[in-house]
Amino acid sequence: MRPFTHPAARLCLHVILWFIVLYSTLPFLWATLNSLKTKRDANARVPKLIFDPTLDNFSEVLLRATPDNGAVIATVLAGILGVLVVVGVLAKRIPFSTTGIYWMIAAVVAVVLWQIPNFMRMADIYDDFLNTVIVCTGAVLLSITIGSFAAYGLARYTGISGTVILLAAIAFRSMPRMGYILPYYQTSQDLGIYDSYLLLIVVLVAINQPFTIWMLRAFFVNVPRELEEAAMVDGASRFGAFRKVVIPVAWPGIVATSLFTLLVVYHEFILVRILSQKNQTLTVSMSQYVGGISVPGGIPQQSAASLLAVIPLILVVLIFQKHFVRGIAEGAVKG
Amino acid sequence: MKFKSFMAFTGPSNIVMSVLLIFPLLYAFWLGLHFITFRTLNDPVYVGLSNYRDVLNDPAFWAAMRWTLVVIVVAVPAHMILGFLIALLLDQIKGRMRAFYLAAALIPMIVVPLIGTIIFAQLFDPPGLFAWAYRSVTGDIFVFNETSMKQAILAHTIWISSPWAIILFFAGMQTIPRELVDASSIDGANRWQQIRHVMIPHLRPLILLTAMIGVMDMFRLFDNVFVLTRMNPVFKADTVLAYNYRAALDNDRLGLGNATAVILVVAIIVALVPLLYVTYRDQIRER
Repeated sequence: MRPFTHPAARLCLHVILWFIVLYSTLPFLWATLNSLKTKRDANARVPKLIFDPTLDNFSEVLLRATPDNGAVIATVLAGILGVLVVVGVLAKRIPFSTTGIYWMIAAVVAVVLWQIPNFMRMADIYDDFLNTVIVCTGAVLLSITIGSFAAYGLARYTGISGTVILLAAIAFRSMPRMGYILPYYQTSQDLGIYDSYLLLIVVLVAINQPFTIWMLRAFFVNVPRELEEAAMVDGASRFGAFRKVVIPVAWPGIVATSLFTLLVVYHEFILVRILSQKNQTLTVSMSQYVGGISVPGGIPQQSAASLLAVIPLILVVLIFQKHFVRGIAEGAVKG
Repeated sequence: MKFKSFMAFTGPSNIVMSVLLIFPLLYAFWLGLHFITFRTLNDPVYVGLSNYRDVLNDPAFWAAMRWTLVVIVVAVPAHMILGFLIALLLDQIKGRMRAFYLAAALIPMIVVPLIGTIIFAQLFDPPGLFAWAYRSVTGDIFVFNETSMKQAILAHTIWISSPWAIILFFAGMQTIPRELVDASSIDGANRWQQIRHVMIPHLRPLILLTAMIGVMDMFRLFDNVFVLTRMNPVFKADTVLAYNYRAALDNDRLGLGNATAVILVVAIIVALVPLLYVTYRDQIRER
């Protein structure tokens, strides 16, 4: 659409948008504010905007004991993070395989996360954080892999089975979790895989397949058939053409779908709660912490716990935000 | 693509979905035919269709269904219109502020729903912002009654669903061919006419998609009812899933819970039929 150019109109535009920003983030900002307050300040009759901030709530939730050399450890971790960020941003200019660099960054992050309990006495929530990383990564990778194959088939096949599968997939997406919890619970107990990563990952993959194939299909449909047909004329198999031609072209869409899948998997509460006891994700354990009737730390501690539960996902999505929107713009538009 | 290749590509996904989505649904139907509690998990008692009959005869179920339909009829169009307007505004911004506004608008969607709902509910507790504003204006302590609870649930539902609409419509607006817009300006169309006759028809598949996702998600509304009402029946604000939860877990009748879930699946599919039909017709036309 043509943009407004009148300066008064532009000003109005920005004012309205700032209201929208406030409207969207108000509860979140309020929780952030609360998490930095002491219990007395948080329960004040007139909400305080100016107060003495404290990090105690966070340390109470995160750590079992404040480490003696806390400042040193914090600096070292910040330093490692800084190096990783710089390398990540400059990755394309380094004369080394870019994918290799990203893999190395991921490996360093994994090792650091794994080793942190050796330096600091983390509370149980740290185990849940690691569980979340494992379950989410596994579920997203598996879901996108089998989903891409299925979506490609659905995008290129013109028979009626394709439409049937798609419509059935939509119907399945709409099913309430209530109908699944008992069957899954019983079956997993019988099979002995209750409370295991395998169970969580497989269940999360299955629950989200309909959405994944629906979204990925839209992206594959937008890849011109001529590209892979040219590759097949040159002797590639259908699978080879898929791997070498279609996937690179549809890559932004695949990234966008991965992010959406990550979002849904991270958010999953009911199934994870029912199907696990020791291997819970952050979402579940923090929800129980926050939703409990009385927490010793009161509102500020609840707010700190809420933030700790949602911030990892927010960071990931904000980092990949460009891919998010671009992927949708390029593909899901066709529905 | 040949049928064999199609089967090969969709194989793994089909297997996963059949085993883990279809089979449990049949199992849930079977479970609905029995009387089970958490204590008698291994000794279900066959009771035929009485669970299903109980659900369909329960006035609480129909009350929940009515309220859920109210939510759908109000919140789906509301969040679509709100999302569309916000996307229009965002479309006007270029440059770095766009990413900032978009990120802020997405926050309600990224925050984990249950936790986001709890944070939202805290605004209404005595130390919360909303409760304080209410006290300052009216001098009374803010307490929920049935109407205000329902309004709060609707408001929260719209708040949490809009980002979906915003991002889909915004992305769609980026793909409108410039020639169409320019041609319509040459023909003398003003801004409103452009929106009505160029933009909205172009966004038709997205509008359908958003409506479908909206209906499906509203039917499964549970988190904010659970958190805001704390499952207190006095508010009469149970959605169908809250009714299901209450029957299955509060009243410990798992057979009934499963029966309700199966009935809900049928209801959702019925509700989706018009939208599915339109999508199906669009698909056929595409070929």
